[in-house]
Parts: sequence; C-alpha cells; structure tokens
Amino acid sequence: MAYQVLARKWRPRTFAQLVGQEHVIKALANAFANGRLHHAWLLTGTRGVGKTTIARIMAKSLNCETGVTAEPCGVCAACTQIDAGRFVDLLEIDAASNTGIDNIREVLDNAQYAPTAGRFKVYIIDEVHMLSKSAFNAMLKTLEEPPGHVKFILATTDPQKVPITVLSRCLQFSLRQMTPQQVSGHLNHVLEAEQIPFEPSALALLGHAANGSMRDALSLLDQAIAYGGGDVREEGVRAMLGAVDQSYLFDVLRALVANDGVAMMAAADSIAARGLSYESALHELAHLLHQISMAQVVPAALADDLPQRADILAIAEAISAEETQLYYQIAIHGRRDLALAPDEYAGFSMTLMRMLAFAPVGGAQLAAMPASGGSAASRPAPAAIAAPAPVPIAVETPVAAPTPTAAPVPAPVAAPVAAPAPAPAPAPAIEPEDPNDLPPWESLSTEPPAHVTIARSTPSEPVANNHVEVTVNVTGAEIPAVTVQIEPAAAMAPRLEDFSGDWRALLDSMKIGAALMLAHQAELTSWNNGVFVLRVNNANKSIATRDFQDKLREALSRHFGQDIEVSAQLIEEEIHHTPAAIMQRERAVRQAQAEDAIQNDPFVQSLVQDFGAIVVPGTIQPV
Amino acid sequence: MLNYDLYPWQHNDWAQLMRDPARLPHALLLTGEPGIGKRRFAERLAAWYLCEDPAKTDAPCGVCEGCRWLAQGNHPDYRVLAPGDEPEEDAEDSKAKKKSAIIGVDDVRDLADFVNLSAHRQGARVTVVYPAEAMNVASANAFLKTLEEPPAGAQFILVAHAARRLLPTIRSRCRVLPLATPDLASASAWLAQHGVVQPELHLAHTGGAPLAALDDASAEWLPLRNSVLEQISMPGSLNPLALAAEIEKSKVEPARVIDWLQKWTHDLVGLGLTGRIRYYPDRKEMLAKLANRAPRMLKYVERLQQAQRLAQHPLNVRLVFEALLFDYLAALRGKLTG
Ligand SMILES: [Zn+2]
Ligand SMILES: [Zn+2]
Repeated sequence: MAYQVLARKWRPRTFAQLVGQEHVIKALANAFANGRLHHAWLLTGTRGVGKTTIARIMAKSLNCETGVTAEPCGVCAACTQIDAGRFVDLLEIDAASNTGIDNIREVLDNAQYAPTAGRFKVYIIDEVHMLSKSAFNAMLKTLEEPPGHVKFILATTDPQKVPITVLSRCLQFSLRQMTPQQVSGHLNHVLEAEQIPFEPSALALLGHAANGSMRDALSLLDQAIAYGGGDVREEGVRAMLGAVDQSYLFDVLRALVANDGVAMMAAADSIAARGLSYESALHELAHLLHQISMAQVVPAALADDLPQRADILAIAEAISAEETQLYYQIAIHGRRDLALAPDEYAGFSMTLMRMLAFAPVGGAQLAAMPASGGSAASRPAPAAIAAPAPVPIAVETPVAAPTPTAAPVPAPVAAPVAAPAPAPAPAPAIEPEDPNDLPPWESLSTEPPAHVTIARSTPSEPVANNHVEVTVNVTGAEIPAVTVQIEPAAAMAPRLEDFSGDWRALLDSMKIGAALMLAHQAELTSWNNGVFVLRVNNANKSIATRDFQDKLREALSRHFGQDIEVSAQLIEEEIHHTPAAIMQRERAVRQAQAEDAIQNDPFVQSLVQDFGAIVVPGTIQPV
Repeated sequence: MLNYDLYPWQHNDWAQLMRDPARLPHALLLTGEPGIGKRRFAERLAAWYLCEDPAKTDAPCGVCEGCRWLAQGNHPDYRVLAPGDEPEEDAEDSKAKKKSAIIGVDDVRDLADFVNLSAHRQGARVTVVYPAEAMNVASANAFLKTLEEPPAGAQFILVAHAARRLLPTIRSRCRVLPLATPDLASASAWLAQHGVVQPELHLAHTGGAPLAALDDASAEWLPLRNSVLEQISMPGSLNPLALAAEIEKSKVEPARVIDWLQKWTHDLVGLGLTGRIRYYPDRKEMLAKLANRAPRMLKYVERLQQAQRLAQHPLNVRLVFEALLFDYLAALRGKLTG
C-alpha cells in the first residue's frame, strides 16, 4: 500500500472535523438538523479553503440513510459511496475543466428525473462561473423551478462572475481563509495523531507558508516530514521553504535607500548563494515594506517586541510613504512575474533594479542604524550607506539639475460641490468589466494639466464661511471664471451621499491609518448603502486580512460619520485602477519625461558627443 | 534506451528523495531552471518505481523484466504526458504533423483511462508529465481530478521549468522537489569533459544551466542568435521588418527568440543600473553603448514578459516580432507607451 498523503488522509468527512469555518458550519448544521433545506447553496472562497470538501459533506447530510442530518453516519451505503466518489445521485461537475463538453447540459437536463438511490439528486458544480453558456442555461432552467428532489451546491472562487440570476436563488456562504494559528493548530493535531515528533516553531512557519489553505498546509507538512527524515524541526522547515533571513532583505532596502546598485546586487547575490527561494524573498520583502508602511502611518502599530523593529523604523524614516507603496507594488508584481523572466534570479534581480530605477536621486540619508536590535548587531550595516558608490561603468558628468519640464500631475479633484455629483451608479458586480469604462480618477489624472485650476476644499479642511466657494479658472479665457455658491451641508462632516466614487481622492482626504496599504491596493467597485466593495488582487492577500478590512471600515466610518461596511474580494486577475497602480503609472510618465528632457538637453548632448560621457541613468529624477 | 545515471550535481537531491522511500508521495513535482537535468531525474525515478528487483535500494537494477520493458520503450505501466503531435487533418496529406506546444484536455482524458486501469505488472503505474506547464487551463483542471484521488499504485512525476505557471491547485497537490542548479565550477568542469571550449561563456548565456549550455555551444540556432543580437545592438540600422522575416524563416521557436531579447534587455538594464552583465559578457562593448537608456527599458522588460506569456500560443511569428522590435526601438527612444 503506497503512502497516502496527509491532505487526502485528513480530508474532513464530517462537519465536526472541519477547521476554521465555524460560522458556516453552524448555520449549515442548524439547517440540516431542523430540516430547513434550501434548494441551492453557493459556497465562495479562495482555493484550498474547503469548498468541495464541505459540498461533499452536505451531500452526505442530504442523503445519509439515517435521515437528513447534520451528522451523517459515514457508514451507510450512501455515505460510503459519496466518500468513495461513486454515488449515482451525486453529480459532480467541474466547470473549469469541462467547459467544452456537451453532456453537462444533458446531465443537467436530467435533473427532472427522480433520484435512483438517494433521497435527493445532488449537483455539485465547482467553479460554477465557468460553465458554458448552454450548460448554464440548462442549470438556470432547473434552478428557477427546482423539482423537490434536486439540490444544487455551487462553488466558486470568483463570486463576482456569478450572474445575479443565480445569486438571487442561492443561499450564499463565504468561506474564510484559515489564519496561520488555525492552520498550525490543526497541524499540531495531525502530527500528534500520526505520532510524528515536531517543534511547534516549525508549525508556525508552515502555518504562515500555507497562505490560508489547509490543503497547502498538509501538503507542506508532508514535504517537511520527508525533508526532515521523519520529524519536523524548525531548521529543516526553514531550509525546505527557502525562508529568507530578514537581515538580507534589510541589506537590499539599505542599498535601495542609498540608491546603490552595486550594494543591492551584492545583497541579491548573498540571497542567491544561500539557495534561498526568490519567490519567498520577494514575498518577505513585500511583507517588510508593508510593515514599513504601517510604521510610517501609525508607528505604534509595530509591536514593541518585533525583532526588527528598529531597522523597520529607520527605513520608514528614510523613504517616503509613496515610495514605500511603490516598492511594495513592484515586489508583488515581480513575484507574480518570476516565471516569465529568463530565469528566476533574473526575475528577482530585475525586480530590485526596477525599485532602484524609481529610487530618489543621490540616496536618502538613513538615520544611524541602531547598534542593537535584530540582526543589525551581528551584521554591521554596509559602509555603502554613507557614501553611495557610483555605478562603475558610467562616467559621471557635471550635469546641472535640469529645470523640470514635466508638468505636475493635477491633484485629484475631490470637490464634492462644484456640481452636484451625479448619483453614484456603480456597475452591478456581475457585469464583465469594460476596459473603456474608466473610473473617474483615471480620466482626471490623465487630463492635460494647467488648463483648469480648481481651488478645492477637501472635506477635512476647516471651512470658515458658511458656504464653500469653488472657483474654476479656465486659462483659455473664453469662458469666464465661474463662481458657484453652495449651501453648506448640515454638518461639516463629509457625507456619503456626496461621495463621487473618486476613491483615490477620498483616501487623500482622510486618515486611514494601518489599512493604508490595503486601501491603496484596492479598487472600489461599488458603495451602495454604505457597503464599500473593494477588489484586491490575490497577491495582496496578506494586506487584505479581516484585521485590515476592519481597520479600513473604522476609518471610513469615522470619516463619513456613519457605519460603513467593507467587503474586500480577492481576485486572481490583474487590477489596474487601484490608487497605487495609477500612482505608479504617473510616476513612470514623469520619470520618462524628465529623462527625455535631459537626454535632449543640447548641453548634455554635446558632452555626450564630445567626451563620450554617459548620463548616469537613474540619477535623473522628475522634480 | 533511457539513461538512468544521475548528473554529477544531482546526487544530493536524489539521496534526499530516497531517504524515506516508504513516504514517497503519489505526486511529485520536480522544479528548476531549464537545462539542469530534471527530465533525466524524473526518468530515473520512474525506472526506480517500475524496477521489479525485490532487493533494489536506491537505483533501478537495470536487468529485471520491468527494467528491460522500460529500456525497450514499451513498458505497459509507464506513460509520458507531453505536448503531442496534433492529429493529422487529412490522412492522405503527407505534410509533417504539426508540433503542438500544449498538453490538451483529450490527452489528459486518455491518461485517466491509463491511470484507472489496473496495472499490467507489479502494481506501480507511473506517469511523467513533461513539462507540466504545457497543460492549458482546461487540461490542468481535468488533470487535477486525476491527481486528487488516484487509485492505489498510481505515481505521478511532474516536471516544471516554471512551476509558478502551474495552477496553484496542482502545485498544492504535489510534493515539490526543487532540483539544484550546479555551481559554476562543477558545471564548467562537466562541460569541459564534454568537449565544450568556453564553458563559462556558454553557462553565462544560459544563466548557469549546464545542459542548456551544452546545447548553447553547438545548437543549430546559433547563427540566428548571433544575427539577432548583432542587429539589435545597432538600433540605428535595425530594420524590424527584415529581422522579423529572418526570425520567421528560421523556424526557431518564438519563445527561444524572446528569451534572447529578454536576456539582452536584462543586461542593458543591469549594466546601466548596477554595472552587471549576466548573460552576454561577450557583447559588453555594444551593451555599454546603449546602457545609458537602462531606466526606459524597464517598460520593455514588461512588454517582453507579456510576449513570453503568449509565446506558446499559435501566433503569427512575423507579426509578433515586428511588433516586439518596433517596440524595442520605441523603448530606446523613451517612447514606448502602454
Ligand atoms: Zn450515512
Ligand atoms: Zn529492475
């Protein structure tokens, strides 16, 4: 008998065995216990949270020979056949792999016929949003007038793509990602039952690496047992995960702060030389930048006993909040694109160079690094920090700082008053995204500058008069300046009704605190009835935890003076309209313009021609 | 005839795997850069599973019946799932079959039949998937079901050059074994043994992967690479239309040519920003002339990544490279948008 992997062996077969979905389990178990049966359920959640596992337990609950129950017996014919995957009245359809097959439609058309062996004919449709059109229509037909013997259990990782016609007919449950503590707790239980020796600190590492998925956790645990030759120790797990010692990452960040490409590559090399995983290096780097960002906004948010606290604070002081956001974004993208580089080292080092290209000229001054605290004690800060080394092949020429020709990007206009903002009409969540349908801030930020200046009054600014004056000066001079008088809102607090949908401007105008990173990496899709629905790329999952969503909710509630809900949806696809993405694009444009200006500067041109001088790239900065 | 010998740099990884053979999982994912010998490692493991010698330790015996069937290439319990030949449209058409770069959903369905049948011989039924990232979304999802709850005795060995391109659900159902890229000294020594004259240079061209470097020293596409690199190193006289036509005519796979462009651009950026050349030290002079444009090439790096992502799809090769080369010129001028 071949070894059975832990993820299979420990797949939960009853509700009681499930970890971390108590809210869903309780509701489901109550319904089954009381015989209150809906005819369609929709389970949503990211991969590995247990959607199909729960669906199969539900199928047993419905068909167990002991009666509809919250505790299927597990031994009757129905239960055992469902567990073995060969129960005739359980039809499992994986829409992701079967989209091209016609017989799904047939299978769904057969729903009208009574079940053969069980009480109910149960359809489990995984990734239901990917069903082909004809299969979908067949399902909808049954869903609209379901025969009493049919139950649908639908699952999806992307509820936004499930049409409203389906959503409205389903009882929806969203499954949460497991916390690292829940994961390591369960691993602890598994190892004790398997009588395998372990160190708890090793389980904590695995708990983090599993990214909220119990299946990943068990798969990693299997690897760790094999790697450790039968036991699970921290050292082995660290090596297996290629986990990166943070001190290397601080070397990278210090080099970045000093704008020192040579030192940066040296730091990259030391990561490479130790065979560490570039993927986890970029993951950790993003995590570190997130901590730095928090330190910039709310220094108190860093735990006092955080090992690297002093280093984080030092970097947080040396770089701006905007740079931190930018570097974070670059790290996340670099990690995602590792597989597309010629090799992973190239992808990793290109990511670091990308940061370098955006680093401020000359390098910021890093406050003296603490002598104690974290690894800085054992590893003295590189000397390069004090004096940035020039890039060796470049010949530095005395180039006068260019007069900035890049026009400043217009500040996003928040004025909730200039003209009554049209009633927000957020696109229904189910409609496919139209690439031409840019959110308001997109069109604003690309508007040619200097044509219109709007003296704006942000909602948080104190307003002295009892009216807000908005002056629009149009430099074309054909249209006279307009002055609009608007009665003040009852209270001076910004009102949700006045919110135009300009997410970035909103963020600029309020205090967000620790959830800043989440807010900047999110795209606002709707804000009906005080529910702010945000889309966040899955890569940013670690900054979109319930914790940070709560913090954002609190900040928004404070700002608008009313209760706001925040619902952040993690999605796989790229999101282009987040404030962070827009800021990065703006910055790239400014950089290109500044470089163009200097490359085309006649004085520089003649230097280049006469002396073969090279403009040190990256030393040109938009002002 | 399969060669079961490990490459010199693989002994540690093999020993690691064989430390506890009883706990070998039903699905193993071998990862690492292209050209480090992952496939041979996978084949050796397959041979080990299929070897019927009751006294076998950590190597297939090579003489038992199982080993002999395998060596003859017709072991009934061994399958390789790889990008196949597309079926001929017309049997009478004598044109060569079109090589597909994709493992299709039908291939995976055929495999399910193989996996679910009982074994012909001692029990193990071994499938090598090479490379695993050649599965498209539909076939990967179909494979997922096979992988999740296979019957006893089914063993899967997946090989991936870029494991991150796999569906995460596939990765999480496998035990991942990253195979080592050898250090420069041992890779050079091995290449020298195989008659390569400038091992370090060829290793640079391939980012350190020895088998790829061996190929690099004698591949039939070398003239094209030289031509491409020479032409793009002189943007003033680069004619995108002519070069794209040349690339198309050569029949070299687009992904490989995009790889050269990526490496060239990587060196441009690296030299400009950090003074480093990774891939083409033999072209340092030409790189240095363009390196002052490093920051503006970052956008082009992204452009090439997009191209690489699409390179497996059947596209019009000439149009792809015309666009890429025009964009290259635009990037150098700081005019690449999008
Ligand atoms: Zn039962
Ligand atoms: Zn044998």
